Amino acid sequence: MSSQKSSEKPYSSHWKAWLAGALAVMPLSIAVIPWGILAGSLALDAGLSPFESQAMSAIVFAGAAQLVAVGMIKAGIGLTSILITTLLITSRHLLYSMAMRAQISPLPLKWRLSLGFLLTDELFAIIAKNKDQANQPLNPWYALGGGLSFYLTWNIASAAGILIGHNIPNLESWGLDFAIAATFIAIVTPQINRPSILICVLVSLVCSVVCELFQVPSGLLIASLLGMACGTLYAKATGEGK
Amino acid sequence: MITLTILLMAAIIFCSRYLFLEPRLPLKLSSNTLKFLSYSAPAVLSAIWAPIVFIQQHELSISLDNHYLISAVVAIILAITTRKTLLTTVVSMALFFLLRFYQ
Repeated sequence: MSSQKSSEKPYSSHWKAWLAGALAVMPLSIAVIPWGILAGSLALDAGLSPFESQAMSAIVFAGAAQLVAVGMIKAGIGLTSILITTLLITSRHLLYSMAMRAQISPLPLKWRLSLGFLLTDELFAIIAKNKDQANQPLNPWYALGGGLSFYLTWNIASAAGILIGHNIPNLESWGLDFAIAATFIAIVTPQINRPSILICVLVSLVCSVVCELFQVPSGLLIASLLGMACGTLYAKATGEGK
Repeated sequence: MITLTILLMAAIIFCSRYLFLEPRLPLKLSSNTLKFLSYSAPAVLSAIWAPIVFIQQHELSISLDNHYLISAVVAIILAITTRKTLLTTVVSMALFFLLRFYQ
């Protein structure tokens, strides 16, 4: 039995698990660099001091919310509107937090706080990937490696954006966002091992594209919830997995 | 004012990420909820990548000229056949940048 126990541990040390997490998130870190540069540069442009601009990336640490908030600050929009918008953009994190509850809530406080702070789309993605491949309980060091290396990349990129200031090249034209698509496809596709998951993915996919075309606010959340609901209902209706 | 904005935004975002990780939160997820949540990763990740691939310049683009689409299809085929995440990511990204470079 003891030999079985050791084979349950996929990583021989905390450091190896940390590195595996950092490696898993690396394509996503590369993809986020232009957005980090943009976040730093736009914050400066909106009238934030270099210190405030960096502080935003360091303590808010949320790409989409930061970019939108900075735009609103620049436009002179009031605090309440900014906070409501932040709440809408960040609402999907409630979903991640709920999905991770079984795995993270039994951990000690310091782990919960740090992994909670680092729980971005990207961290959620690589945890989902690891869970699928190894079918194991969460290794917190793996999650920390992914989360922390992503955090550092985001902040270094923001610092670069603050230093470059207004002279940033047209980063959107580089097409680095394809790295996000490639990574998420690589994570999701092997997970489609039941018809209900295929239904869930197809519904989310079509709905997210439609929402984006019609500029529906919170389209990401709507598309995700609809896909999840369709997958669940399909599985219930067909008695899948029973 | 900016400091206040940053602090309040940080508080909202941290709370949304941490809320359900708190064990003292009196919430028992039913088996139906857990079943529903088990679909969250494929649903959210698909909803993030699909618009990147299918929408170019604010319009639906389903054509051979869409390098995002071509490379995404290759990524899906690689993911199904190899089931290797890193290989799929690196090869499809290489293809994408080659297509862009030689267009």
